[in-house]
Amino acid sequence: MAHAVETRGLWQVFGGNAKSSLERELKTGAASDDVASVLKEQGLIPAVQDANIAVAPGELFVIMGLSGSGKSTLIRSISRLVEPTAGEVIMQGEDLLKASKSRMTELRRTKMGMVFQHFGLFPHMSVIDNVAFPLKVRGLKRKERHAKVREIIEMVGLAGREEAYPRELSGGQRQRVGIARSLAGDCEVWMLDEPFSALDPLIRRQLQDEFLSIQEKLKTTILFITHDIQEALKLADRIAIMRDGRIVQIGTPTEIVLNPVDDYVRDFARDVPKGRHMTLDEVMEPINGAALSEGGPQLSTSMTLEDALAGCAMSFEPIPVRDGDGKVVGVVRPELFARALGSDT
Amino acid sequence: MSLTQDLPRRLSASRGTRAGLLVLAVGIVCLLLEQSLPWLSIWPAEWTVPTTQWIGDGLGAVLDALKPAMRAVSAVLEYPMAGANWLLNTIPPVLLIGLVAALGWYLGGALMAALGFFGLLFVLGSGYWSESMNTLALVFVSVPLALVLGLSIGILAYEVPRVKAVVQGVLDVMQTVPTFAYLTPLLVLFGFGPVVGLIASAIYAAPPMARNVLLGLERVEDEVKEAAVMSGGTRLQQLFLVELPAAMTQLLVGINQCLMAALSMVIIAAVIGGFNDIGWEVLLTMRKAQFGQAFLAGLVIVVFAIVIDRLSRALATERRRYDWRIGAGIFAACALIYLVTLSSMPPVAELAWFDGAAASVDQSVGEFTRQNGAGLDSLKNSAMFYMLLPLRIGLDQAVLPFTWGFQWTPAMSAWFFLAAAVIAGAAALSGRTTLATVLGCLAIILETGVANLPWPFLLAGVAGLGWVAGGWRLAFFGVGLLSLILLAGLWDRAMLSLYLSGASVITCALVGGALGLWAALSKTAWLVLQPICDMLQTIPLFVFLIPVLMFFQIGEFSAFLAICAYAIVPMIRYTRHGLVTTPPELMEAAQASGATTWQSLRDVRFPYAVPTILLGLNQTILYAFSMLVIAALIGTTGLGQSIYLALGSADVGLGIAAGSAMAILALVADRLVQGFAKAQREALGL
Ligand SMILES: Nc1ncnc2c1ncn2[C@@H]1O[C@H](COP(=O)(O)OP(=O)(O)OP(=O)(O)O)[C@@H](O)[C@H]1O
Ligand SMILES: [Mg+2]
Repeated sequence: MAHAVETRGLWQVFGGNAKSSLERELKTGAASDDVASVLKEQGLIPAVQDANIAVAPGELFVIMGLSGSGKSTLIRSISRLVEPTAGEVIMQGEDLLKASKSRMTELRRTKMGMVFQHFGLFPHMSVIDNVAFPLKVRGLKRKERHAKVREIIEMVGLAGREEAYPRELSGGQRQRVGIARSLAGDCEVWMLDEPFSALDPLIRRQLQDEFLSIQEKLKTTILFITHDIQEALKLADRIAIMRDGRIVQIGTPTEIVLNPVDDYVRDFARDVPKGRHMTLDEVMEPINGAALSEGGPQLSTSMTLEDALAGCAMSFEPIPVRDGDGKVVGVVRPELFARALGSDT
Repeated sequence: MSLTQDLPRRLSASRGTRAGLLVLAVGIVCLLLEQSLPWLSIWPAEWTVPTTQWIGDGLGAVLDALKPAMRAVSAVLEYPMAGANWLLNTIPPVLLIGLVAALGWYLGGALMAALGFFGLLFVLGSGYWSESMNTLALVFVSVPLALVLGLSIGILAYEVPRVKAVVQGVLDVMQTVPTFAYLTPLLVLFGFGPVVGLIASAIYAAPPMARNVLLGLERVEDEVKEAAVMSGGTRLQQLFLVELPAAMTQLLVGINQCLMAALSMVIIAAVIGGFNDIGWEVLLTMRKAQFGQAFLAGLVIVVFAIVIDRLSRALATERRRYDWRIGAGIFAACALIYLVTLSSMPPVAELAWFDGAAASVDQSVGEFTRQNGAGLDSLKNSAMFYMLLPLRIGLDQAVLPFTWGFQWTPAMSAWFFLAAAVIAGAAALSGRTTLATVLGCLAIILETGVANLPWPFLLAGVAGLGWVAGGWRLAFFGVGLLSLILLAGLWDRAMLSLYLSGASVITCALVGGALGLWAALSKTAWLVLQPICDMLQTIPLFVFLIPVLMFFQIGEFSAFLAICAYAIVPMIRYTRHGLVTTPPELMEAAQASGATTWQSLRDVRFPYAVPTILLGLNQTILYAFSMLVIAALIGTTGLGQSIYLALGSADVGLGIAAGSAMAILALVADRLVQGFAKAQREALGL
């Protein structure tokens, strides 16, 4: 089956003569790392180097990396907001880099949607006009397009604020407008560039949840950028980690947490409680004739270690707790430990 | 040992010192050879190229070719102009006043409504209503032209990056080309008549709009632009549905500046005559020495400028709009007044509520000058004899028995230079070698006078300044452009202009700097100065001539005063702004280190403010040059006079050549000051 989005050997180099320099270096057949360092010596900026990703339809693909690692540049070259220097971008079988200007406009109207970190709302338009803008450029009449976007506005929870202007909204509300606008066209590949980074943690969590439920409903293919590992782990089907313009690892959240390819990736996952992402199938051993008692906790392969630990702890008796004088003042049930230490989810 | 260590350091003197020494050396050589090689001080006429004639012939041919087409344009433009004229002169004044007051209310509330109402009422009462409407009609037709022109240029520069640098260069140059210089070729193209004023003001008012369009478009957030792209807008849709509307505030600022520039130019264009407008009225009454009436007409212009400026500024800055129904009520009330007074209203031209006031202004000015004539004269004469003249022709010629009481002799020159050498030597010994060379150069300038400066000395000076401020490129730029003036044989006149603008700029820098400092230190001072500055910046250039003429008659001193009055404002503003915007943490650090107010001002705030102050100086220079040309109307010599004469005789060659020379002076000064400002900013790490 065709990938929703695929990049092959995608390069984005900034600076004068980037194209010819890159072509010359690529011809030598050197490894992409060496090419990049040669380009850097020439004063060019290889912001994306030889990126190869393949995103399946309906997949939620997260791109992660430190500031300046080239995340934005990668999706901006995919959407051709910047013109890639070399490589291919294939969206549902079509090579975007060969598309004409008008075809690109067409594709942006019918296939792509994009959400920006700082919202990129049009300051002179009300909420509903902002959201309906993609329909306006397609030539829909005012009434028609307003009718069409009411549902989306409702979906992002902005019903009743249609006539407000961006400057009158809070940060969270503004990003809801941004999200609604990116969905107003028919969006098959949805690109979000750190959509929640500018928001405070509580609002961020709330919007993440709403985002997941929207995704549940729409099942679009998603390219999602973040530098927050918790967010990535919470949302992603797969994560690509970028460093200095290179994609260093692509994998499921569990793979990233458990099998980081290098220290850079390991650093990202350092603060992640492993018990919450590791599942039992990754630690269980073969039966090898061990005697299995019936009863006891019900465990299954897809359970996280945290949940399994709580389950196992249930089979212990409550344990007494003493005060300073050695007098028993209460009991604690071991399964509570697991829950209390575990999480807030 | 210390000597051997010191030596290389001394030899590798700073850039400033090296440049200063070179300039000084050139100056001394020129002075020594003055007698034997006269061509050093006066560029021989044989060495000039008949540029004026070439330009005249070349451009004349082009203009002749264009003439038929332009005359057609002119004929077409007659229609909207006649229309606007008819409309404004037909609308009953009271209704127009009501309309403006209502608009004022809608844009800025009660204050603006009152401004519009009383402002226009004053115009009506002055008896200059129909002249004012003629002026307004010109503005109304030229502004849309300028807006469209400016918008197109701005968008073009924004869309085509390669054009941008060119456009910006052209806009820069247009800002420095004196206003009168526009008029001469237009006069040839379009023939005498109001269309020249119309086109001139459209051309003159377009650059500010173009600048603001470009600035506004560039300032639209990138994400907003990208959101428009990703929404699937075509380029045109992105531009017109998103980027331009998002830049609206800046565009409105552009409209405000465009209106003011158009008004200013329309009034200046009155010198061509033939439209019976308010500028013409000022000119006429000024020539007849009816200062009371000139003053009244000048006030009408000022009132217009203020009303137009404040209303259009409210449009740009106030987000809030006021209830339009009250505006409608205001209009209805005025309409009612109109109906009631329909029968008893005299024709507008016969209204003369303020003629009594004008007459008494005339009288009291007459009285005042008669009584204080001696004082005014002595003020004027001392400024002329002790400051302007020496600067112009040098101490050696300005010091005469009948002014200074004695005759300057060559021996005095020798003593003067000896004293200068001693002072400079002292400065050099205390380590300030650059200062020493500068002092030496100043002594030369003071002794010979700006108008008589040997040209190699001046060129070397510009080269030196350019090299220090911005390296070889800037040095070549300055010298190259100035050589053109030399070759064109306009050097003498250029030096006269340089002297007068130089004197004004120095005065503005000192007085304006002091006022700016005062305003930075005292809030009350700024409360007083700010409205004055606002006012001075709103008034069209032309009007500055009236009061100075009233008291000091025609002459260089009046021109000097008018230039100073206009050009001082940026110096005040920028000095204050530079000083009050020192980052608070710097001030606190100085305070914490135990610096007194004065010390922190001198050692922290002032160095930090220097780049800003230099920008103010730069503006002051440009302002001085633009006023210099207008001041030709009241008797200055130099390029301004040539431009004005060229206008009178429709001499395109002379007009363009002298105008370009003026622009070159302004441009070189501008680049030099900007270079210093940039160097200082870099030194501060800003
Ligand atoms: N238009 C451009 N011209 C030159 N360099 C650029 C341009 N855009 C991006 N870069 C450079 O490319 C590199 C990657 O930038 P990019 O914006 O993609 O990083 P990012 O991972 O999105 O970082 P952040 O988390 O801060 O958004 C940076 O070094 C940046 O300076
Ligand atoms: Mg980014």
